[in-house]
Amino acid sequence: MTDLFRFSRQPEFRNPSLIVGFSEDAGRLAPKVIDYLNEKIKGDSFCEIEPSEFFSLGGVAVEDNVAQFPDGRFYCGERDDLVIFKGSEPRFGRYQFLQTVLDVAQHHCRIKELYTISGTISSIAHTTPRSILTVFNQPEFQEKLRGYGLENMNWEGWPALNSLLLWVAERRNIPGVSLWPVIPFYLAAVDDSEAQKRVLEFLDKRFGLGIDFSDIDEEVAKQNEKIAQLRVRSPEVDDYVQRLESNLTLTEEESERLAREVEEFLK
Amino acid sequence: MGIRLYEEPKVENPVLIASWPGIGNIGIIAVNYLRQMVKAREFGEIEPWDFFEPRRVLIEGGLLKELEFPSSKFYFQRTKNRDLIFFVGEQQPTESGTPYPGGRKVLEIANLVLDVALKFGCRRVYVSGAALAPIHHMARPRVWAVPNSESLVSEVKSYENTVLMSDVEGRGGQGSITGLNGLLLGVAKKRGLEAVCVLGEIPFYLQGLAMVYPKASKSVLEVLTKVLEIGIDFSVLDKMVAQVEQGIGHLEAQFYEQAPPEVAERIKTWLESFKHKPAESRPITEEDQKWLKEHIDELFKRGGEEDDRPL
Repeated sequence: MTDLFRFSRQPEFRNPSLIVGFSEDAGRLAPKVIDYLNEKIKGDSFCEIEPSEFFSLGGVAVEDNVAQFPDGRFYCGERDDLVIFKGSEPRFGRYQFLQTVLDVAQHHCRIKELYTISGTISSIAHTTPRSILTVFNQPEFQEKLRGYGLENMNWEGWPALNSLLLWVAERRNIPGVSLWPVIPFYLAAVDDSEAQKRVLEFLDKRFGLGIDFSDIDEEVAKQNEKIAQLRVRSPEVDDYVQRLESNLTLTEEESERLAREVEEFLK
Repeated sequence: MGIRLYEEPKVENPVLIASWPGIGNIGIIAVNYLRQMVKAREFGEIEPWDFFEPRRVLIEGGLLKELEFPSSKFYFQRTKNRDLIFFVGEQQPTESGTPYPGGRKVLEIANLVLDVALKFGCRRVYVSGAALAPIHHMARPRVWAVPNSESLVSEVKSYENTVLMSDVEGRGGQGSITGLNGLLLGVAKKRGLEAVCVLGEIPFYLQGLAMVYPKASKSVLEVLTKVLEIGIDFSVLDKMVAQVEQGIGHLEAQFYEQAPPEVAERIKTWLESFKHKPAESRPITEEDQKWLKEHIDELFKRGGEEDDRPL
């Protein structure tokens, strides 16, 4: 077995928090938020997870005409209180993969808290304000983050990778929270700038990042304007969105049609 | 990664009886039935997270309450004639990137099971699984026994309704047992433990169906209880056998109705030839087997889609 991670440099941290996002996500939420954060804090990679234990390396996958390669990297910037991890979801050995992430974060970076980011698809309209559903691994941490406008999640079913990560963190006594902003289902395959902004607002408030949101506000306005154009052009799309705005449900066929129309128009 | 024992049972020369799920869940039904009949008590488990993916999460009020993994548990009971340790695994670890048992993890889990067996002075292991055989579902399944040392062959030959690989038509004493139900035999051999795998026969045409086959579990249990000198009540298992037989009969009838007449006739003839005397019936050729399997699978599946009563 090869070493599971490799440092390119050894930065110093002071009680940092770890923010985790995986590359494949609804509304491109996690990768966009992580990239945005990295840009703001001038983040640079300092450690990477070796892919051979967690991915099939018998070839490369091609997505949107581009060859992909699994990646998992830790980043930090000028601040010594933030560590960021962005990675592909492991194909196998998920528990070992997450242990490796936390080995680096706990033993080398001495993190005090964990934040995971992932979008959750919902049948809301894009004009509805995005809420952030949350899952905590410790009630004390849940109490600590009261006042940030987060909502509690209830769910029983197949566990997502972030739930497993939260559980692994709890076994190490690392307080953690999974942030699950809701994404309108018809924006799942494209960007949801509004949801991205909502998460960044939370992180800005929590870590005092001093983010100037004007660029992202512009993105949100641009996307809303484009969807408004589509609604004018297509009465069918307008009808679907109006029904969602009135908390009415669409049939499976209608939902698929709406998602397809929006996706094609925004791409 | 490891073993968690809740207590240290006081047992003398116990026998380990182990099983994991497999075709028809024959072994695991047999082991679980015996475990319940002798009222064995849980005393430990193998920690699951290194071996298995969680299968369910429970989140309440924004708090992660529970993450559920497949279990791998140990039980014990002292009976009049024998002390018993049971191991029941709800799932077999799979080879990385595949849905099949294999790789480093299966070896690790087999060794952990035997670590516990050896810790409590166990010298003999029984493991149970399924043997695909050209038999009819109304016939009494035999038990194929595979020991892990030559010195056990004569003992195994004396078991009732049991055959060795060499007694099975066309096998010449050769064969393989896939998954942990087989691997444990080999690992036990390496670690100096006597072990016997008892495989209940299941009609090969039922292998593609997601169903249990308790009739073979009963055959396995008849052997195990006699060898271990334990008397148990089979009535609950008998009810399960009758239920499954009824379900298969229902599918069979549907199958003859729906199949083209020439296919139905050929299959009927073949099945009849195996009905009551599996050991004496003529072996089927590989070509026959392929043809029959293709048609029977297709028809049983069709029947299953139209009637979803549990088998």
